[in-house]
Amino acid sequence: MTAIAIEFDSLVKQFGKQRAVDKLTAKVSSGRITGFLGPNGAGKSTTLRCLVGLSAPTEGSAKILGAAYKDLANPLTRVGTVLDSRGFHPSLTGKQNLKVVAAAAGISDSRVDEVLAMVELTDASGKKVKNYSLGMKQRLALAGAILGDPEILILDEPANGLDPAGIAWLRNFLRNLAHGGRTILVSSHQLAEMQNTVDDVLIINKGALIAQGTIEEVTQGSTLEEAFLKLTGGQLS
Amino acid sequence: MNLIKSEWRKLVYARANWGLLIAATLISVLSVVVTPFILSSQGEMFGLSLESTAAVDSVYANGISGYIFAIILGILLMAGEFRHGTAVATFLTSPKRGAVVANKLAIAAIAGILLMWISTGISMIAGWVALSTFEEAGSPSDNLLINTFIAATIGGAVLGIIGVAIGTLVRNQMMAIVGSLIYLFVIDPLLLALLPDAGKWLPSGLITAMLSLDINAPELGFDTSSYLPAFAAALVLLGFGVVFAALAITTSLRRDVE
Ligand SMILES: Nc1ncnc2c1ncn2[C@@H]1O[C@H](COP(=O)(O)OP(=O)(O)OP(=O)(O)O)[C@@H](O)[C@H]1O
Ligand SMILES: [Mg+2]
Repeated sequence: MTAIAIEFDSLVKQFGKQRAVDKLTAKVSSGRITGFLGPNGAGKSTTLRCLVGLSAPTEGSAKILGAAYKDLANPLTRVGTVLDSRGFHPSLTGKQNLKVVAAAAGISDSRVDEVLAMVELTDASGKKVKNYSLGMKQRLALAGAILGDPEILILDEPANGLDPAGIAWLRNFLRNLAHGGRTILVSSHQLAEMQNTVDDVLIINKGALIAQGTIEEVTQGSTLEEAFLKLTGGQLS
Repeated sequence: MNLIKSEWRKLVYARANWGLLIAATLISVLSVVVTPFILSSQGEMFGLSLESTAAVDSVYANGISGYIFAIILGILLMAGEFRHGTAVATFLTSPKRGAVVANKLAIAAIAGILLMWISTGISMIAGWVALSTFEEAGSPSDNLLINTFIAATIGGAVLGIIGVAIGTLVRNQMMAIVGSLIYLFVIDPLLLALLPDAGKWLPSGLITAMLSLDINAPELGFDTSSYLPAFAAALVLLGFGVVFAALAITTSLRRDVE
């Protein structure tokens, strides 16, 4: 039995009449990379927002390391997060943006330089974020996620905006992080890429869980893309 | 301490905040410096001649004109988080939202005080220089300096806090700023002129009251005799600050962050 890093228990998130997450119950094992998949609008981002306490669940709960995110002491040192909204101040430099976050988490400024180097942004660290390309912003977001050297990473479409070289870089980056024994929950639409990266998959459609298991269990010999299309009916919700 | 340091960095890293300080200083200097010229040529009309202490006091009183920028600064500090989406990083780092808002209120108060000290201080010096070119100019009242200092300090702190509270309630930064400006420039002065009994309880009236001016110039819509005593005005203004701070902390706790 492996330890559980993240646990969703009958999680429901309702926006008006729409149920974006519908009684989601699932577990994410520690020390593994879990792909979080689903068609556009399936509720992935909403689920992750509930997990990190930015959205309040309508019903049920989402726990990380056995507690609600907001109850973790200095969460940045336990959990690193990249969401679909990156949230950097455009008129601050990349480095200033990270220094603001570092100060709040009690992390040293030298660690800021360190993570900027790890995502290969050292040269652009003095540039205002509004002058960053999409890929540079994505790297900055990843730098922010590893700032506290967390044991869990939650990544919502981290490959978004990366060019082929960037995607190859991200693949290596994630592998190195995973080798250190970290738990990674990553959502993505790049199924071929995910097939080579993840250990486990969690697939949702219209807010509800439709498949969960190791990649072998879910694909059963076919490609992840084939399995995904079969499970989701090949349609966008 | 971590959160205060983080909020301080947000304050000083953003150029827009320095722009507000410069704007506050320019506006205050301008309104102080032009007043003796207006009073020296038109003062008789208003029943205020530059020889009187009241007139000289009213010149220096304009030194606190920058308080509008203390509110805008508070709004930028809070609503800016929602506008730019930095609220996500902020609340991911410190999910205890009450603590974040409390620290932001503290920084807004400090920033408001600094903004008022700098803009008021520089404009008082400018006023002294401007007045020295008028031979007939009288001298200010004995307590003017200390009263202005108190008004600038409490006014700056409270208005910074009110700005943060507005920014939490009205997350749209543009709407928050425009709404506050309309309130301060149109509604508040109207109330003060039309219903002085009610108006004296509102921010502009309270800040002016803290200067303890003794000016009776109905033609200017200015009659300080009906204002609250300075000490009471300071307390009411602080009360506003506390209510707005409580409002800011309670409302920011629940809503989802995009
Ligand atoms: N703040 C909100 N208010 C109303 N509806 C929302 C809100 N956020 C998300 N939704 C709705 O909830 C559903 C799930 O959205 P979500 O962003 O979680 O999907 P997703 O799986 O991340 O999709 P994608 O792959 O396109 O990123 C969508 O129908 C979306 O319109
Ligand atoms: Mg999404």
